[in-house]
Amino acid sequence: MELKGRVWKFGKDVDTDELFAGRFIMGGDETSQSQYQEFIARSGLSDVGHRENVPKDFLTKVRKGDIIVAEENFGIGSSRQQAAETLKFKGVQAVVADSIHRIFFRNFWNLGCPAIDLPGISAEFETGHEIVINLRQGTIKNLTTGKEFEFRLIIPAWFIDMVEAGGLIPYHKSLKS
Amino acid sequence: MTLVEKILAKKAGKKVVRPNQIVEFSVDLAMIHDALGAHTIARFRELGVEKVWDPARIVVVLDHYVPNKDIDTAKKCLNIKKFVLEQGIENYYEVGKGGIAHQVLVEKGHVLPGTTLVAVDSHTTTSGVVGAFATGIGVDEMAVVFKTGRLWERVPGTIRINVEGKLRPPIASKDLMLFILKRLGVSGALFKSLQYTGSTISQMSIESRMVLTNMAIESGATNGIIEPDQKVVDFLKARTNQPFEVIQSDPDAEYAETLEFHVDDIKEPMVAVPPKPSNAVGVTEVEGTRIDQAFIGSCTNGRLEDLRIAARILKGRKADKFTKVIVIPASQEVLKAALAEGLIETFVEAGAVVGPPTCGPCMEAHMGILGPGEVCISTANRNFQGRVGDVTAKIYLASPATVAASALKGKISDPREFFREA
Repeated sequence: MELKGRVWKFGKDVDTDELFAGRFIMGGDETSQSQYQEFIARSGLSDVGHRENVPKDFLTKVRKGDIIVAEENFGIGSSRQQAAETLKFKGVQAVVADSIHRIFFRNFWNLGCPAIDLPGISAEFETGHEIVINLRQGTIKNLTTGKEFEFRLIIPAWFIDMVEAGGLIPYHKSLKS
Repeated sequence: MTLVEKILAKKAGKKVVRPNQIVEFSVDLAMIHDALGAHTIARFRELGVEKVWDPARIVVVLDHYVPNKDIDTAKKCLNIKKFVLEQGIENYYEVGKGGIAHQVLVEKGHVLPGTTLVAVDSHTTTSGVVGAFATGIGVDEMAVVFKTGRLWERVPGTIRINVEGKLRPPIASKDLMLFILKRLGVSGALFKSLQYTGSTISQMSIESRMVLTNMAIESGATNGIIEPDQKVVDFLKARTNQPFEVIQSDPDAEYAETLEFHVDDIKEPMVAVPPKPSNAVGVTEVEGTRIDQAFIGSCTNGRLEDLRIAARILKGRKADKFTKVIVIPASQEVLKAALAEGLIETFVEAGAVVGPPTCGPCMEAHMGILGPGEVCISTANRNFQGRVGDVTAKIYLASPATVAASALKGKISDPREFFREA
């Protein structure tokens, strides 16, 4: 499975309060998928202008299929799945980081979006670079610089099937049938 | 194997597990609260399953947005209550019956040694205090747990945090934890477990130990855990009739790392300056910083001993005229005991507002939200930018004693002056 996209470079310790502020947690009607997705996409990274670790124009210029490459400890903090959902619903298809917080790591994968931790990877990318990730081979390529990197994920054997199914919930539904 | 490895091996039906191995384990207890409960239920419905795997293994606590602050929060809590009734979930704590989920889980004897607990909250690590594997997960995973009673985990290697020496008040477990975090950093324990050992931990009350397991998550750890001793056994026997097995680490357990601490190295009360819990400095470095709000409460420091030490400082004194002082007991049980001891009267006389046992201004949820540029000193666990409201507000984390002393002066203050021999 190959993921190709445009890179947004994030800094370190991007936390879940930053990704999705507490004031929005009880908003959105989770029983209506379209309304919910629109609300979650709109509410994320609401204070981005005040943050050092997220590019100022990310909110206005992020496009479907973009990939975040971040420094260490991405997604530190809360269980709130909205922190992962808001990135997905804004169009981000994968996160690559020097290290990733456990709950965010799980949440993002569960939405069908790979989260890949590879120490040192952030130094190899800048905003605007083109990236290709091959999940089954475990490779990341920077198409802009031509450099290639290998990663080894510590994930359940069925995780890539789950991503192909569109996430944990669709994957479990497919198991039933 | 270490304690956490032994629990995961047992629950995965394996003789041995190793750090970083992926295992599938059975969940003994699952908790949802109001902040992510309705969301979990919606995803569970999507799975197309009628019934949860075992209603007796689910605990539901309303603690973040109750009493409901608006129509949205009321609607979500109603959805949760309907689900609880429909599924026959007995362990349901409406506002006024329980308190903060992590406190309720331990205090009501729901979590037992050697078991597994997962919940839709990162501070689920708190329950590791009884020697359980307790950790936070997201709502999609919780929906699957509700269906199957099973979950996967990457077995965390164990970092042993060994602490020796006697804590001298007002230096408390919160000061110790901030001191530990200063060394570990906010990502020092990613995908690892923190196991606290040593004479300091043995001497500590269960309440003080909960500060350590609660804030294990702030180092990035999967969980925090303490080997159950007689104190834990006695504590639980008074709270549950359920049988339990006490599991300890093997004598030859392999630790990923052992970090040694001595409390004598904590020279003064600690304060974590914004925006990270690991930014600990001695209180004298930030003494005099003007504050707008002082908060004593949360799953970190809203227990009886916390209220006692705060009351000792506030008794017979008045809080600063321009400082909002908010005291929130962690549970109804704590509130009741605090009332009986006259602590609540002390807070009220001092000019504090005493809130209902809920999460309060630990996060931007319900009350005590900070406005632009406001400064809060808090006994809670996170001081990220924007955590409790406006992105320009600042949060300092400290012990209940330091927060109480600061409340009196309207600026960050050293509590030691209230503890000198007369």
